[in-house]
Amino acid sequence: MDRRHALQQLIGWGVRPSHPTAGDMQMLQVEAGLEPYTQPLTLDDVLHLYRRLSFSASMEQAAQQVGRQASDVVEELLGTGIEQQPASPGAWVNVWTENPRGADLQTRAAIERSWQTNMAALGSWWLSLMTTDPSAVEKLTLFWSQHWSTEFSFDNTYSVPQMLYRQLGKLRQYRLGDIRQLALEITLDPAMLYYLGGTYNTKGAPNENYARELMELYLTGLGWYTEGDVKEGARILTGWRSQRFSDEPAPNDRYETWFDAAAHDMGAKQFLGQTIAARTEDNNTAFQVRNEEVLRMIEIIVDVRSDAVARFLAEKVYRYFVYSSPTDVDQTMVAGLGDVLKASNFEMRPMFFALFTSAHFFDPQLRGVQIKTPMEYIAGLLRQLGKTATGLSTWASRMDQAVMDPPTVAGWPGYRAWMSTNTYPVRREFARTVIQGMSDQELGTWIRSIDGHDAAESFVRTVLQLLLPVAVTEERFSYYLQALLQNAPAYDWPVILDDQAAAAKRTRDLLITISKAPDFQLC
Amino acid sequence: MKRRTFLASTAAASLGTQILGGIPLKAFSPLELMQPEAQDDDRILIVVQLFGGNDGLNTIIPVEDPEYYRIRPEIAVQKADAVSVLSRVHFHPALAPEGSYNLKSMFEDGRLAIIQGVGYENPSLSHFRSSDIWLSGFNTSDPNKRLVDGWLGRYWAETLPGFPEQLPSDPTAVQIGGTLSMLLQSPRGDVGIALTDPQKFFELGQGLSPDLEPMSDATRYGREYNFIRLIAEQSDRYSTVVKQAFDKGKNAISYSDNGFVQQMKLVARLISGGLKSKVFLVYMGGFDTHVQQQNEDLTGLHPYLLETLSKGIGQFMNDAIAQGFADRVVGMTVSEFGRRPYENGSRGTDHGTASVQFVFGNAVRAGVYGNSPDLSNLDANGDVRWQYDYRRIYADVLETWFGGTPSVTASVFEEGILPLGVLQKPTTVQDAYDGKVELQVRLYPNPTSGSVVVEWQQSSPASVSIDLYTSTGRKVEEAYRGVVQPGPVSIPILPTVSGALICNVVVNGVAHHLPLTVVR
Repeated sequence: MDRRHALQQLIGWGVRPSHPTAGDMQMLQVEAGLEPYTQPLTLDDVLHLYRRLSFSASMEQAAQQVGRQASDVVEELLGTGIEQQPASPGAWVNVWTENPRGADLQTRAAIERSWQTNMAALGSWWLSLMTTDPSAVEKLTLFWSQHWSTEFSFDNTYSVPQMLYRQLGKLRQYRLGDIRQLALEITLDPAMLYYLGGTYNTKGAPNENYARELMELYLTGLGWYTEGDVKEGARILTGWRSQRFSDEPAPNDRYETWFDAAAHDMGAKQFLGQTIAARTEDNNTAFQVRNEEVLRMIEIIVDVRSDAVARFLAEKVYRYFVYSSPTDVDQTMVAGLGDVLKASNFEMRPMFFALFTSAHFFDPQLRGVQIKTPMEYIAGLLRQLGKTATGLSTWASRMDQAVMDPPTVAGWPGYRAWMSTNTYPVRREFARTVIQGMSDQELGTWIRSIDGHDAAESFVRTVLQLLLPVAVTEERFSYYLQALLQNAPAYDWPVILDDQAAAAKRTRDLLITISKAPDFQLC
Repeated sequence: MKRRTFLASTAAASLGTQILGGIPLKAFSPLELMQPEAQDDDRILIVVQLFGGNDGLNTIIPVEDPEYYRIRPEIAVQKADAVSVLSRVHFHPALAPEGSYNLKSMFEDGRLAIIQGVGYENPSLSHFRSSDIWLSGFNTSDPNKRLVDGWLGRYWAETLPGFPEQLPSDPTAVQIGGTLSMLLQSPRGDVGIALTDPQKFFELGQGLSPDLEPMSDATRYGREYNFIRLIAEQSDRYSTVVKQAFDKGKNAISYSDNGFVQQMKLVARLISGGLKSKVFLVYMGGFDTHVQQQNEDLTGLHPYLLETLSKGIGQFMNDAIAQGFADRVVGMTVSEFGRRPYENGSRGTDHGTASVQFVFGNAVRAGVYGNSPDLSNLDANGDVRWQYDYRRIYADVLETWFGGTPSVTASVFEEGILPLGVLQKPTTVQDAYDGKVELQVRLYPNPTSGSVVVEWQQSSPASVSIDLYTSTGRKVEEAYRGVVQPGPVSIPILPTVSGALICNVVVNGVAHHLPLTVVR
């Protein structure tokens, strides 16, 4: 495809065109593609990489990577998948929760309250990890968590936080591996079995919920299966059970899946044109059904629909990490990433690596175009300011990204849906709270971490470089310089710096002013 | 038309440079200028979205259909348990909660229309695709076609003068909670705001307008920047307007303590306080009842949802009547699909197709539209066949309620759609004076094998359009455009299509739907 023939049509269309349709307004196509980005990384490059692949960087973290090759840095950030899991959020993750059903009202309320408490703890724990771990581990885990979405609160009931914590561990562990492995783990994951009704899926009258979403939302997208495939898929998935409460059977120990052979449909199934053979009582075992039917079903999807699966996942990755606009997806890049995925036999790591080391990813036209997700916004700001905070999961909820509790089974709609008259004021409030909450001493330390902080102009320039994704005009720069100096001459700044309280107050004013900029919401 | 003048003055006010009686408008605040207006066209639409796919067969119960009881052995509602009106319409008992005005009592009072079999051609069984089809008003079976904006968003973006450079003084649409729905998005930007708590919105929203000017839209960065900038501006501007309406407004009755019911309570209070929004969007999730949807004693998830829905709408209506704004409000439910007729083994139902929807308000032509689903004639997938294209209700809203024209409807949906006729336009003295009244229109011969004559008695000069639609409401032919004089009118038309058609005769803006059969 000739990228040079892209045209730019500008129609006087007001301040806020939100969904350009064909012919209205085409953006200039980005010429850079999947070819590797080989220039030594500049500070802007590093900051861009960390904004997208992690949760931003502190100035110190970023400075260490300047001058290195993207391939080396990305290799380190992605990790291996065999890292140790982080320390758990608390002893509660191994405590078996009681069944509130049938309990008296008070006990019931206490049990459900403990879930709320534990869920908040899980959320704040995860957000703290995002804030402190500079690698890509938690970002990729979050990507998969919103892909294989599972709601904490749904249908007037709850996913038990202990189960969600375990699911998160699987997403973290398998984030880079074979998509079939990840699909198998989640298909039989206890929290997912509850969430999409798999644990009730029984031969004779199967429940189609998970079979449909496995294809529509997780692997192929719409248009690559028939309603008949959904029905047959539901039959394949009959018989898998889990338990939420201490009074339910748990043959494989708590919060583990088990197989109820009597509930499994042993008949032959026709799925996507392939036959899964009928079985007898003898081979109707957990081990065999898991491999010969559940895994086989996933393999059939990936084999028979390999182009669709590659494209579907590549587009999801592209929109999550590069540009989320549904009408401005670079199809050449998506096709290229899909090819990488197929070439690696659906191992995810090479695709992530190719994307984050590509010239396309580093193209200036694609910087600052992503609306920060609430978690990017929260963890990013704290990381940039070297600050920690508590109660983070509440903030995320108020910005409409309750941890592991998306609005629907499709996860969060993302992109511009993140920003509304409901959530924007909360974002501003969060920034204000964090910035005002920094003590004079904390700010003093932070100021000293900024290169060139002893001259007002270089200090403001570097702060803007850290906090905003694209360089500002000179006019805006003067405006921010003024926010710091407040009518003092620039040469007074070193003197002000000697007075910790005065320097902190002015820096707070500067940060608050920057946080009001629309592009403070972009990354 | 009054609405146009109201909107025009809003636009003028925000321009700030017009002259009114020799005094520059700048001297007035937009709010002061607005007060005396908007008495006439203050019609409001409430959209109640039931996400997940409401089970229509367990909402209005087909008690006379033995097939229903055969395919739903566990979760059917027995005839004795259903709540009947005149032994003809059978509500799920959860829709008739005691101690609250509710959907069943609204039906008895002539404030509720029940539309059976609402759906569309080539149904999608995906929540997300089907929701997009419902909210966008575009039915496309091409899964690659991106549906990115909503029918109400497109309508208001076209109707508001100068949008989006000039924002109206009050938000055109208000969504309670969440992030702004596709329904309220347009190619020119969002026509509404999302809010949860007016007090908090006010506290946090004030002073949020950015000090910075918009950027050029030539880059992706610039576009996203401008998007956020406008949200900031709307937050600032509308937080004050909403707070004023909230403080001034009240609820005249007490509401149940439940999330959805409280959303309806907030809507009533904002309307009562004079907020001039045209559309309110409220949302209930949880209708994706694959599992344990109903216990043996008719309690459980789905009954709970139905009861909540019924209370929310009923209590709102009660409040609206008590406060005197009931004539100005109509509402409709939308849900992406119904459930599969036969139950699954988890005491639940899987995704289905066409389903029942409600339209409520004083301006509704109450009754039941369409038939109970024919369970002996399901489609190839074992799902209910649709009877009414969902957009026929929307077309009613646009043409009858908001005063649009058939050409507006056609531009919003990119095809002509016949209004269902479930809403009635309130006839004012002015309307009668303008000759905007229903007429006795007659077609003959009918059935026909050739031409047809359309006849009626006309009392004043009138502009007339005659169009032919398929029985499902899709426009197929423009038959006549012209002006007629007082006296007997007789217009011959020559249909080129055949089959069961609907002939829509619009005289001075008043529509008449006449069945017409063309045989060749």
